[in-house]
Amino acid sequence: MQFEDVRLVQLTDTTWEIPETGGMRVPGLVFASGEMMEDIRRDQALRQVMNVAHLPGILSHSIGMPDIHWGYGFPIGGVAAMDPEDGVVSPGGVGYDINCGVRLLRSNIGMAALRARLPVLVAALHREVPAGVGSTGFVRLSPKEMDKVLTEGSRWALPRGYATEEDVAATESGGRLPGADPDSVSDTAKRRGADQLGTLGAGNHFLEIDEVEEILYPEAADAYGLFRGQAVFFLHSGSRGLGYQVCDDHLEAMPSYMLRNGIRVPDRQLACAHVASPEGRGYLSALACAANYAFANRQLLAHQVRETVQRCLRMGPGDAGIRVVYDVGHNNAKFETHEVAGRRREVLVHRKGATRAFPPGHPELQAAYREVGQPVFIPGDMGRGSYVLAGLPGAMRTAFGSTCHGAGRRMSRTAAKQSVRGKSVFEAMEQRGVLVACASRRTLAEEIPEAYKDVDSVVDVVDRAGIARKVARLRPVGVVKG
Amino acid sequence: MTPGARYRLLPHTADLRVEVRCADFPGLCAASVETLFSLLTDRRTVRRAARRTFSAAGATREERFHGILRKALLLFALDRFLVRDAGATMELDVVTVTVTGEPADPARHAVYREIKAVTAHGLAVSAGPSGWTGRFVLDV
Repeated sequence: MQFEDVRLVQLTDTTWEIPETGGMRVPGLVFASGEMMEDIRRDQALRQVMNVAHLPGILSHSIGMPDIHWGYGFPIGGVAAMDPEDGVVSPGGVGYDINCGVRLLRSNIGMAALRARLPVLVAALHREVPAGVGSTGFVRLSPKEMDKVLTEGSRWALPRGYATEEDVAATESGGRLPGADPDSVSDTAKRRGADQLGTLGAGNHFLEIDEVEEILYPEAADAYGLFRGQAVFFLHSGSRGLGYQVCDDHLEAMPSYMLRNGIRVPDRQLACAHVASPEGRGYLSALACAANYAFANRQLLAHQVRETVQRCLRMGPGDAGIRVVYDVGHNNAKFETHEVAGRRREVLVHRKGATRAFPPGHPELQAAYREVGQPVFIPGDMGRGSYVLAGLPGAMRTAFGSTCHGAGRRMSRTAAKQSVRGKSVFEAMEQRGVLVACASRRTLAEEIPEAYKDVDSVVDVVDRAGIARKVARLRPVGVVKG
Repeated sequence: MTPGARYRLLPHTADLRVEVRCADFPGLCAASVETLFSLLTDRRTVRRAARRTFSAAGATREERFHGILRKALLLFALDRFLVRDAGATMELDVVTVTVTGEPADPARHAVYREIKAVTAHGLAVSAGPSGWTGRFVLDV
């Protein structure tokens, strides 16, 4: 299946340039090994990197991470920074699941001690943490409470006993994006999110129990509180229906703005508006609301995990020691300071399936991580493993402080299902040493490990490219999916 | 399925890329709504217990087609309403779709997947000698 022939110039063993052609305002820059590029070329992802380069006000490069694959508008694994004065913001550069992200919880629990209770714990987490289509959370938000979630983010959970100050401090942007006006969010979006706070969702969202299998950067692992043989908990979820609707609402509103302002883009899903326009500001305000909803959502999920593990293992909070290592999103648009053409300036960074990866010394990092860099979490697939990385200075120099977000799909959902026809995914996973609980067998079949690129290869690229450094490798032992 | 209509999934790495064919444009809209719900559940298990009507206007056929699919998805996203079958009419620039179905009942309806949105990426409507074709990508 060869879709497009895109001209590529190999710059190093891990970076490729797509030279400016046609209406591109900047070149493309893709991080990948030669072997991975063969896979990447098979779908429309590189064409989408080129399409993004057409957006007004884009700076430096349209960037693709090694987990890049075919998305809508932007590729998944795409990064683009815009000039806030004459550049645009595009909801397609963030995606429907605004501030979808990953939270890692560490514990004092060794896997050796947990192993015997693992089946009971996986079952308990599956029962207690709402997952799957139509699942509802344990809080039902009144309109007034919804507005508080949208403006306060993780902090909303503090006085209600679902969060600690330490949790909030260990969340990107302190768990709250500024500029969130609930009036910028439609009633439809609020209705979609009213009963979904504290739910995992479906598809590739998950809750995972992992064992820290290997420490690769001891100083950073120490700072993050990670040790070999430790049980940790991975949460992957986002802004649920509320975020999907925010994106949809604003994508609908932007084409008329583009028509009035003579903006032409190669894909309707790249609909955009100038950052400083009322349409652009309205979207950014709604995006901040949805991002705050996502922070609060993962906070409630973390609370449920903490309570369930303690109850199931009959441990107190001190003994279990379940604490947030960090919470970081991978679908967002944020104002940040970066150096562009030798000048430090504020830019609007779109990350769609890309993780912020600030290096050591960055002022936005909490004191405990300032020496080693921001934690970055790269979930692989449910069979082979995941990584904890640390941001490096190279990320600031070449990728607007960004790195990859996962392994990246390589197989369509239909192909994945066909490949397991007649086989039990549960049994296959158990043979790999992974217990799985899932609301939908169909989802499970679509999420088999073989549907994803090899996470080791993806992480090798960002490590070698100097944008993020390997800290620890995690091995999944229990998975809960929607 | 709307008489004479059929659908198939086209290759896509991460999401669902759908192609629907039908004899005329209103039929294409109705068949695409049915397809959307076929990708959510087994429509044969859905009773024709209630009726819902919604419309979409737009300067182009793509806009009307996209508008109808977005509104159809909201039936489920907001009210958990599942569609058994759909019919459509068009007057000037407005497509109106009437569906029958019922709210999802976990005891009787397996919901296969979460569909986040009907994207505008690659959305296309075309007419040919053998009828109308619509293509769209669902974010899942």
